[in-house]
Amino acid sequence: MNMRTTKTRKNAAFVALMAIAVSACGGGGGSIVDSGTTEAPATSDGGSSTEAPSTSAAPLSELPPCDPTALDGADGTVELTFWHGMNGELEKSLVALTDEYNASQTKVKISLENQGGYEQTLDKYLQSGSGSLPDLVQAPEYAVQVLNDTDSNVPVGACIEADAYDTSDFQAKALDQYFTEGVQWAMPFNVSDPVLYYNKKAFEAAGLDPETPPTSLEELRTMSQTIVDSGAAAFGLALDTGADSGGGWFLEQWFAKLGEPFSDNDNGRTAPSTKVLFDNQTGVDLLTELQSLVDDGLAYNVGDNASGQDALLKLADPDKPAAMTIATSAALGTVLSVVAAGTIAGVGVNDIGVGPMPGPGGAPGAIVGGASLWIVDNGDAVKTAASWDFVKFLVSAQTQSTWAAATGYVPVRSTALDLDPVKTTYAEDPRFRVAYDQLGEAADSPASVGAILGPQREIRNITAQAIATILQGAQVDTTLKAAANAANSLLADYLASNG
Amino acid sequence: MSGATKRRWRDVPLAAVMLGPSLVVLVAFVLYPLGRAVWLGQQRCNVQATKCRSVGWGQYTDVLMSNEFQSAVWVTVKFALITVPVGLALGIGLAVLADKHMRHIGFFRTVFSSTVATSVAVASLMWLFLLQPSVGVLANIGWLNDIFPVIKEPGLLNDKGTALSSVAISSIWANLGFTFIIITAGLQGIPRELQESAFVDGAGGWRRFTNVTLPLLGPTLLFTTVVLTSRAFQAYGEIDLLTNGGPVPQQSTTTVTYLIYGSSSIIKSNEGLKAAVAVLLFVILLGLSALQFRGLGKRVHYGS
Repeated sequence: MNMRTTKTRKNAAFVALMAIAVSACGGGGGSIVDSGTTEAPATSDGGSSTEAPSTSAAPLSELPPCDPTALDGADGTVELTFWHGMNGELEKSLVALTDEYNASQTKVKISLENQGGYEQTLDKYLQSGSGSLPDLVQAPEYAVQVLNDTDSNVPVGACIEADAYDTSDFQAKALDQYFTEGVQWAMPFNVSDPVLYYNKKAFEAAGLDPETPPTSLEELRTMSQTIVDSGAAAFGLALDTGADSGGGWFLEQWFAKLGEPFSDNDNGRTAPSTKVLFDNQTGVDLLTELQSLVDDGLAYNVGDNASGQDALLKLADPDKPAAMTIATSAALGTVLSVVAAGTIAGVGVNDIGVGPMPGPGGAPGAIVGGASLWIVDNGDAVKTAASWDFVKFLVSAQTQSTWAAATGYVPVRSTALDLDPVKTTYAEDPRFRVAYDQLGEAADSPASVGAILGPQREIRNITAQAIATILQGAQVDTTLKAAANAANSLLADYLASNG
Repeated sequence: MSGATKRRWRDVPLAAVMLGPSLVVLVAFVLYPLGRAVWLGQQRCNVQATKCRSVGWGQYTDVLMSNEFQSAVWVTVKFALITVPVGLALGIGLAVLADKHMRHIGFFRTVFSSTVATSVAVASLMWLFLLQPSVGVLANIGWLNDIFPVIKEPGLLNDKGTALSSVAISSIWANLGFTFIIITAGLQGIPRELQESAFVDGAGGWRRFTNVTLPLLGPTLLFTTVVLTSRAFQAYGEIDLLTNGGPVPQQSTTTVTYLIYGSSSIIKSNEGLKAAVAVLLFVILLGLSALQFRGLGKRVHYGS
């Protein structure tokens, strides 16, 4: 009897397991992001930027205040904690700057806490209770909406206003990246952007001018054709579809370059975005061109770029190299030292050229990558003032000059360029300056600053998948449409949970 | 009340005192979090998971039926089916080879077990140097590429057909040291006399291996199988470093663990969905361990 019940129970467990296994192997359901959303509101179908903003942030006066003079009345040293995600050489430079700040005055003492990277910093910040938050946090460019929605920050705009801080020499695009709904939320600190890396030797061998890399998509095609036809290299351009590189930025960068909105509500800058727009004709045209570059044998798709280097290493392929690739400007130092080690036969350090990221439209232009500084609101005016003091130090012209020369990030303000060491670096090797110059003039519309989305990182993974599918030969319009639908359901769910 | 029952009741306070501490630990660190995860699995939350709303238990069914989850389960099963048997076979093979009394055998034992001291990150980077399609070691061996053009285009880690096996090979390699050590210890527990008497009875080398060595290794092999299986289901580092769950769009190496936690997962910041997937993974692993102990456990000889 006893035996039998045990056996029956075991069998029941087995049947339940098999049921899971069978259903798991059975026909496909929907996407996981649509799970359990029966109660979630339907995606807004209006979506034009004329629509009244649904959730507008409070004006500056209703946000946590900043009183820079509070530091004057502080007795003793104010101890602050700063969470950052810088590693390797970047961390060394940040530590050196922080030591310099701590030694320069006695009012504020900064303790750095390395969280391992952007992702880890952000995850830990979101999962920490308000009691265990730091006083300052470095957060990546894709976290703007997410951090706004935590309501845990003193916008640096409040400090800028109260301190009458002059931002006229700042790179407008860098500031604008962290400006939404009328508020300057964070201070850009480390800024990079995608640039074109190319092999000047291959350009010479193909009879092209090694000093004029392609800037438009048309030039990219004709020069690639010349390179391939002449046999100077097997491919013109190495492309990748990684979410942190090609797949994540071709669309966002090129929409911004064209001044076309990527999402509704003015790229999420007048109110949170409810809908992406990248499946429109502009998106279809851009990706059709990218696809045909691959189909015509002019570009080579290295895939996901999971190692982060696959596109750049294609330039060093001894068998079938590409002559150009697009990668972050932050990689320039590494690229030059790898080339100096003799990785590409017959190519020296001076044979690597750097140009602005090619793309549609006229003048060069790019939107910023990298990260910014956020002041955490812990209800203590003295700590806020002390944080602001350190932020001012980190973005001062001299600090930015030192930081840019040591790391390869571009200075966030133009006055830094007149100061050594970056002045000398840029004069000696203009390649480092390309990323700075292409940020260009102030954006004339929110569309040219790039989009702010709640689930921005996840949406980049979706566009990366779509671009990978398209470069493998899928139909462009239907693939983009499906990606846009997936992105829109992520947005709808995000707004329903965070609105 | 019989005497026995009375005696049993007398033991209750003492039992409570003795069991209490571990009960507290069990409830606080296992049962309570498990319960919370099950509850969270039917919710949707804001980014800080401070405001959550229930969307119904149907979320579990929806996740179970979703393309992403089913693909991840299938990838995980394939990964385990490759890494566990191959890892086990190689581990047994190396351990038997090294289980000899000869000079300098210590050198080989050290080499065979060396991967224990290699972290996942270092091992994966080394495999990346081997497998990188442009400048990697394998990509520049001419004759090898003539036979397997996939090494060069698109690359073993970039091809949807070979990515999972390539990650599996690196995982097998990384776990081999551990398997080798455990099985070597098992081999040394087998009495020499049994081998010798089998030899006297005329059993050849293979016969002695299948009829003496393997059965007596039973408990060791069961343990190793269970550990390797759970490692396969929890594999994360090598996937993150080698493929990021790709190649996209097929997501050929997105295992269930990677779907929950991976940097390229589309549910990365959705605590409710992550909890739902994690709970389903728990149910699957629970069933699998039960099957392993029930199915294999019976056949294992634990000695008299």
